[in-house]
Amino acid sequence: MKNKNALRYIYNPFEKIAGWQALIYGLIIACLSGWIGKQAGLMFDGAIDAHFGNEVSYYQAFMMLFIDIACVGAVMYLAGLLVTRNFRFIDLLGTMTLARAPYLLLSLTGLFVTIPETAELLANPALIFSNPGFLIFIALSFPAIIWVIALMYNAWKVSTGAKGSKMIIAFIAGLFVAEVISKILISILI
Amino acid sequence: MLYLQQKNRIMLPVYCPSCHAQLKVKCLKCESCQTEVNGSYDLPLLALLSLDDQQFILQFVKNSGSLKNMANELKLSYPTVRNLLNEIILTIEKYEK
Repeated sequence: MKNKNALRYIYNPFEKIAGWQALIYGLIIACLSGWIGKQAGLMFDGAIDAHFGNEVSYYQAFMMLFIDIACVGAVMYLAGLLVTRNFRFIDLLGTMTLARAPYLLLSLTGLFVTIPETAELLANPALIFSNPGFLIFIALSFPAIIWVIALMYNAWKVSTGAKGSKMIIAFIAGLFVAEVISKILISILI
Repeated sequence: MLYLQQKNRIMLPVYCPSCHAQLKVKCLKCESCQTEVNGSYDLPLLALLSLDDQQFILQFVKNSGSLKNMANELKLSYPTVRNLLNEIILTIEKYEK
């Protein structure tokens, strides 16, 4: 029973935590992810994206995170207004920010990964298999992203209290729009 | 789930065990003088709700309608408590129709 409850809190902690509390925890975890990600060369360059890339400054790394969180908060709030009016912005923003927590695991894993040069990789794709850190990162990144999306879905469901197919469509559309807008803003501003 | 101590109480039956239609009150009795009143009375709306929902409403009233206090008391998040209240409102509206 206890294990079942623990498992439930892994994908839906929002029955217990929301609002300012979730926002503070979420921001602390996001800052840690951004800081560790910067050391590992991992960038959060989209609402639900994480990529290895060119060296970025701390300012750029944290600006990307700010844009991601702001876009998700603003777009999902507007999407929420389309399906229900009976919810608080702080619950949505807090839970959506905390939903990014699994990215901390990706950042930590990123510290142990050496990315092969693109030219080298193109010349010899089998290089990937001789890089266990990179393989572990790839193996972890899919479940981590699925976990983030599952958390975001539960955050959305709990904080808006919406139900039915309308809620699911608004969530998918909202996340897609947030991803596009965050990508555009990051490419313009950073 | 949340109110285990209430589960030991004998619940007022509200649905027919045979056909599941809503029951009515047929007889009321005075324990003091044994007078009986017979008729066909509707059950009060609150009695139709589940024991958990009734307990939630009681706690809600005791907390002066503060969802924030309710969330602290039940150790649940604010939106979760608000969603529980919304569920009860929907159930009440269903019974009122």
